[in-house]
Amino acid sequence: MKLTIDAKSPLPVYQQVIQAIKLEILSGGLRDNDPLPSIRDLAKLLRINPNTVAKAYYALEAEGFCEGRSGSGSRVKVPPGRQDGLRQAMLEGEFKGFLEKAATLGFSLDDVTHLMERTRK
Amino acid sequence: MSQPIIEVRDLSFGYSQKKVLSGLSVSFAAGEWAVIAGRNGVGKSTLLRVLAGVLLPDSGTVIRSAETPPQKIGFISDRLSLFEEWAVGRAIDFHCRVFAAGGFDDRLLRRLGVGGRARIRDLSAGERAILHLSLVLSQKPSLLLVDEVLHMLDPYIRELFVEALIEAMAPSPRESGTTQGAAVITVNHTFGEIERLPDRVLVMEDGTFAIDETPEALRGRMKKVVGRQSLPDSLPCRFKRTEGDYKEHYIYPFREEMREGHALEFQDIALSEIIKAFIGGGYEQKRMA
Repeated sequence: MKLTIDAKSPLPVYQQVIQAIKLEILSGGLRDNDPLPSIRDLAKLLRINPNTVAKAYYALEAEGFCEGRSGSGSRVKVPPGRQDGLRQAMLEGEFKGFLEKAATLGFSLDDVTHLMERTRK
Repeated sequence: MSQPIIEVRDLSFGYSQKKVLSGLSVSFAAGEWAVIAGRNGVGKSTLLRVLAGVLLPDSGTVIRSAETPPQKIGFISDRLSLFEEWAVGRAIDFHCRVFAAGGFDDRLLRRLGVGGRARIRDLSAGERAILHLSLVLSQKPSLLLVDEVLHMLDPYIRELFVEALIEAMAPSPRESGTTQGAAVITVNHTFGEIERLPDRVLVMEDGTFAIDETPEALRGRMKKVVGRQSLPDSLPCRFKRTEGDYKEHYIYPFREEMREGHALEFQDIALSEIIKAFIGGGYEQKRMA
């Protein structure tokens, strides 16, 4: 599992854990019924607080991405039919950030469209 | 993270003439990781010593939960004092006897190549810290108090140390027979290593807490504005740093509506920088007083 935590990111650490695990599920790195690392192991691996990992796991469970109690036996669940929506939402999130940055640099939406076309070629 | 594991009420403490803590009240929850920061001499270590039961307060009370009898409080002082003439093995035997601790886990010491026959006075600061930590962990503490020791350690040992604290918070039920992890309270000046760890950040100023928040809340409420422009008076500037024409303003408490009406860029900053700004602000206030 490729998991990294960015201490400078404005996103709280537990949300970074949630995002990273969702990304793993979407990219196929974690499959249905795969065991999630125990809270203790993931906390040690990422050098983060076990409470943070627990919080992320509870949130993932509430959203239907894993099941099993308190990490020791958590298993991945791939929510049927929700992958496409989630992939879309993640891309939109990235894109929004990118557009905001472009706007700060003084580029219009047209400029961005041109750039995308040019890059594609 | 719910029940208080330890609480102090209306605590006062002074060293001969100098009053350090006056009327301080605070409580810590089971299983939380709290970090106490603040400028030198503000009373952080004193508070930790009172919590550890090493110092008795002049007035006020310390209330420990039923799960936290004195032998379940592990205290690592920044002095790391141990019987210098003893061998490591003797210190371990002694400690386990006094605290009736079950098994001593020597994994960390073995990783550093410290054997039982080594003299304590010959250990490096890092080896000493790991010995101290291993001793304290054998008590299966429900509360771990760690005074500023991290900055004395080299990066490798620091990592071992932090990892052991994480393990203590999330014990393996198989090995320890318990699922109740330890609460950890650390006193820190340097934050690099533990940036992502605390559940709660407290900053002491003049014997009380100027800040007591989760890192998320704190990061939401402090932003930095860098530039040559002066800041509108309406923005609460907690601490300012000037480099030539450029000024860094640390805005606290920041609210989202402050973004409106001007073109200032409010930067998100890391916890370590926030703490530095608060400590800097503490010195400024002291100078002005």
